[in-house]
Amino acid sequence: MSRIELVNLRKEYGNVVAVNSMDLTIEDGEFIVFVGPSGCGKTTTLRMIAGFEDPTAGNILINGEVVNEKEPGDRDLGMVFQSHALFPHKNVADNIAFGLRMKKVPQPEQARKVKEVSELVRITHLLGKMPAQCSGGESQRIALARTLVTEPSNFLLDEPLSSLDAKLRRELRAECDRLHDELQKTFVYVTHDQEEAMTLADRIVVMNQGLIVQMGSPMEIYSDPVSYFVADFFGNPAMNLVEGEFVAGASGLEFHCSQFNIPLPEKFKNTAPGKGSLGIRPENVTIGTTDGGASINSEIELVEPLGKDTLLYFGTEAVRPFVAVIEGTQEVKRHAKVDVGFPDEAIFLFAENGDRIR
Amino acid sequence: MSMTKSQRRHTFSAFRYLVLTVWLTIVAFPMFWMVSTSFKPDREWFAWPPVYISENATLQNYLVVWADVSEYAVDETGNLETVAQSLQRPWTALGNSALISVISTTLTVLFGSVLAYGVSRYGILSEGRMFQLLMLRMVPPIVLIAPISIWYSALGLLDSITGLVMLYFLTTLPYAVWMSKSFIDEVPREMEQAAEILGASRMRTIWEVVLPLVRSGLVATFLFILILTWSEYLLALLLSKTAVVTLPVELSKYQGSTEGRIYGRQAALSVGITLPLIVVGLIIRKHLARGFSFGMVRR
Repeated sequence: MSRIELVNLRKEYGNVVAVNSMDLTIEDGEFIVFVGPSGCGKTTTLRMIAGFEDPTAGNILINGEVVNEKEPGDRDLGMVFQSHALFPHKNVADNIAFGLRMKKVPQPEQARKVKEVSELVRITHLLGKMPAQCSGGESQRIALARTLVTEPSNFLLDEPLSSLDAKLRRELRAECDRLHDELQKTFVYVTHDQEEAMTLADRIVVMNQGLIVQMGSPMEIYSDPVSYFVADFFGNPAMNLVEGEFVAGASGLEFHCSQFNIPLPEKFKNTAPGKGSLGIRPENVTIGTTDGGASINSEIELVEPLGKDTLLYFGTEAVRPFVAVIEGTQEVKRHAKVDVGFPDEAIFLFAENGDRIR
Repeated sequence: MSMTKSQRRHTFSAFRYLVLTVWLTIVAFPMFWMVSTSFKPDREWFAWPPVYISENATLQNYLVVWADVSEYAVDETGNLETVAQSLQRPWTALGNSALISVISTTLTVLFGSVLAYGVSRYGILSEGRMFQLLMLRMVPPIVLIAPISIWYSALGLLDSITGLVMLYFLTTLPYAVWMSKSFIDEVPREMEQAAEILGASRMRTIWEVVLPLVRSGLVATFLFILILTWSEYLLALLLSKTAVVTLPVELSKYQGSTEGRIYGRQAALSVGITLPLIVVGLIIRKHLARGFSFGMVRR
């Protein structure tokens, strides 16, 4: 049973507040992902849990015990770093055995464990090599092995995949998922990549400017963002977000912007007029069919076939173009005029300060 | 007027080799001259046109200087032998030099690297303080001599090995701090943190992770400071009289009152001063190549 609790955790560097009064309980065996833009405080939080940074205020509890004063090595943690941080002067086997040696595990048991864990992450063929002879992906597997071998109850992963190329990243992402399934240990994972967060997390913690903006399962975050920031951060292609104005029209509230005016669904009838934004995910935009909801007639300015899907771009001269996703099999022509539909249930509204309007 | 890319590259490369050759000649010629002179009989020391490689090469200079074989001395320099014999034996000077420079260099590198670790990892000295430390080196040593002489005579440190070791330790410490800091900075902090979270103590981390990675750099620092200390002249001359004479001071004593400089003997002594450094350099050359290239940690 292992549980990490952050109580009113705060970190300041001079006048800069890196983490602002954070409360969070990470349950045993949970895969939790801290995600946010750089400088949002996610890495600082992880480093405070690890013990590399002292909190300015607040407490960190591991297994119910305050560990603020404990050394990193005494916190029952394992950590994987972005730079993998392998010891370049030791071979792979010695790298992996390092933690066991520090814990004075007897020699034969060390050898057995090193063998076991290198089978688990599939690097037995690398054991005799030096880190400099291993590729980036291999190095990160070795770093994982070095952490796994000491069997901590909690794993901290600080952007472990961000220095790898896309294909390796996918491969190792699946590996992380598999390891978590097999080990049933707590994983605290930091990334700035929303896709990594979506695919790995049991629970996502979205951070911005030192604060937790939203917490929830990947689907909750995706389908029910609390703010413009979260809506914008998750999803690829990103949500269409159009700046404009809510105006009281003849038949209810309308949304006016430089490119189009549409009536808003019934449920927003009590919203006060004023500046704000309208959001709709590209996959929810309908093309050609208009069942239940507003639509506008617009010209397709760019067609981007991706194979399975095709991206259609409208209004490319705007700050951010409006994108729709259709199935790759559908025929569309550039410059064709089509009906672009906004299904009622797919429309998000955000106030000028970024808060979601429900 | 226009050259192709490969022509330009070749021209540049030829130019570079020309410059390097000229530079090498300037640097290596005095060394050559020293070795050549050490084998010359006395009449060739000042000969004009100069004798580059003597046809009457002799070991006389070496024998007189290093083996005290005065009976081999040539007649017209008989006076010279009386001068040489009144000097402290070069072997004693060699012993003094070795003792003083090895002890002070070891102390400097030891303390300097520990201090550098503190600066690099804990910021115990601000950037301003680090430059102040370097400023110590900007003061001409001659300025320090008067007050230090007074203190040393009061403390009984004049003409002693301890006195010179202390002074060399202090004057070379800034170099040691600056050089070893640059090597320690190269070791990523994450590497130490990885060791720490795996349960290694701070000392263990330094011993097992940091030290192996900066070893070459520290060896390079050691040699650099050893050379400085080994060949230091001014302080040694002014703070020692008869009891503790170092090699560079010994060298200056090969100067007769009537004959002027006794070049052949000086050259033979100089070869003896230079040789140990070359030997040390050869022994640790594996480290030097890596150390002086400032970057043994692959990122």
